Amino acid sequence: MRLIFKNLNVLRSTINAISTSLEIKEIVEAAGTNLPNLFDFSSFGVFWKEDLLLFLYQEESCPPSFTQEVVTNMVKVFSIMGEESIVADRITLQTENRKLRPKQMMVDPKATLKSHLTLPLVIEGEILGCISLNSDQPNAFDAQDLQFLSVIGYQIAATLKHFQRFSSIKNIAIYDTLTGLHNRRYFEERLGVDAQKSFYSSTPLSLVMVDIDHFKKVNDTFGHTEGDQVLCKISSLLKSSVRKKDTVARYGGEEFMLILPETGLGEASMIAERIRKLVENTLFEIANARINLTMSMGISNFPSHRAKSKEELVKMADQALYDAKRGGRNKVCIFTGKSV
Amino acid sequence: MAPSVKEDKGGKWSSDLVLDLYSNLLAEIWELVSALIGEAILAFLFTLAIRKLGEKYPFLNALKVSDDGISLNEAREDCRTVAPIEIHRGFQSLINHLSQLFSTLAEGVINKELFPKVFPRVKEAERIISQK
Repeated sequence: MRLIFKNLNVLRSTINAISTSLEIKEIVEAAGTNLPNLFDFSSFGVFWKEDLLLFLYQEESCPPSFTQEVVTNMVKVFSIMGEESIVADRITLQTENRKLRPKQMMVDPKATLKSHLTLPLVIEGEILGCISLNSDQPNAFDAQDLQFLSVIGYQIAATLKHFQRFSSIKNIAIYDTLTGLHNRRYFEERLGVDAQKSFYSSTPLSLVMVDIDHFKKVNDTFGHTEGDQVLCKISSLLKSSVRKKDTVARYGGEEFMLILPETGLGEASMIAERIRKLVENTLFEIANARINLTMSMGISNFPSHRAKSKEELVKMADQALYDAKRGGRNKVCIFTGKSV
Repeated sequence: MAPSVKEDKGGKWSSDLVLDLYSNLLAEIWELVSALIGEAILAFLFTLAIRKLGEKYPFLNALKVSDDGISLNEAREDCRTVAPIEIHRGFQSLINHLSQLFSTLAEGVINKELFPKVFPRVKEAERIISQK
């Protein structure tokens, strides 16, 4: 009876630790830390289909061949349950090696997988992945182990589902549904973070405001559906023309913003000019017609323009964009220093 | 205890009687295995097995699986036109496929609990039906 109470307590704290985890790595660690008090195992694995991630928490003396066997078996079982074949090479494997056994019980270097319990992570009829307990010993697990593992599996599945929902809500909150670029809300937040970093460390930061010239004509001539396609095409040109550290956002309508961290005025001008030329030389196919489009851009920069806030930086870029429009469009203009 | 299966007036096993027999058997499998792996996983495995066999035995598609168990009520109507021996084969395939899934997941752990209780009943059903 005392053993049952002890096991239930371990189970309770395992479930509690899993449910308060914020990422999959934490789930595996939370479970892995507690599981040795419940089972004798060589490795414990969690496979998450969505990101093709397989985490293994294993006894440090497990030979690589054993690890490989566990991975192959988990992929095989998941493929049967998920009715889809998963190529093992596409999976990102992360292993956490820990001392789970006393020295005299180290895993033999030639050990093979002798027994396992693998359960699908199922919630609301959907399979999210699988979990697996593995051992180099034959018949290492019994019915009670299976019961405990299924309870742990339920909690892991519920937590992963929660991650999935959270991530999709987060996506809705920060991405523009039409173009897939970041939306204005995200832009404001990102600029806040980048500007603060820049103001405190005195590293340069450039902002480019982009507007498609005469875009209203595209909508009026070809209709809004075709206009939307142009916006998508230009968005992907913008996205592919910047660096990984840069942010591209749809600011509204046919206006876009580029945040270029650690970028001086010279470099920002080069990037903007390259994008302007790229768009100018691109033929956009709209409803059996091929048209050319141009863009106007305005650049502001910290510290060159002495902006004191992110709002001021935006106003400066807007002013520069206005100058580009007034100067005949299809231009990149830098803020001239006149009042904003 | 053997399931209560009775012959109809014509001395033949009707679809309903075969369904009754397997309804009891599946309920027993459900009770036993859900205690080991939980209802949600078991419902998932049942659904998987039915999807796999539904093309060969279309009446299986009418089985309703939920976290509460498995219901054959809707299948009864579909089974009126199906030969009892075919129903028997369909359910036998379903149970075999489930036990293969159990073995894929937990090697012998589930089947070790299941076989002594359920296997003789499947054999008995086979014997009763093949006699007719």
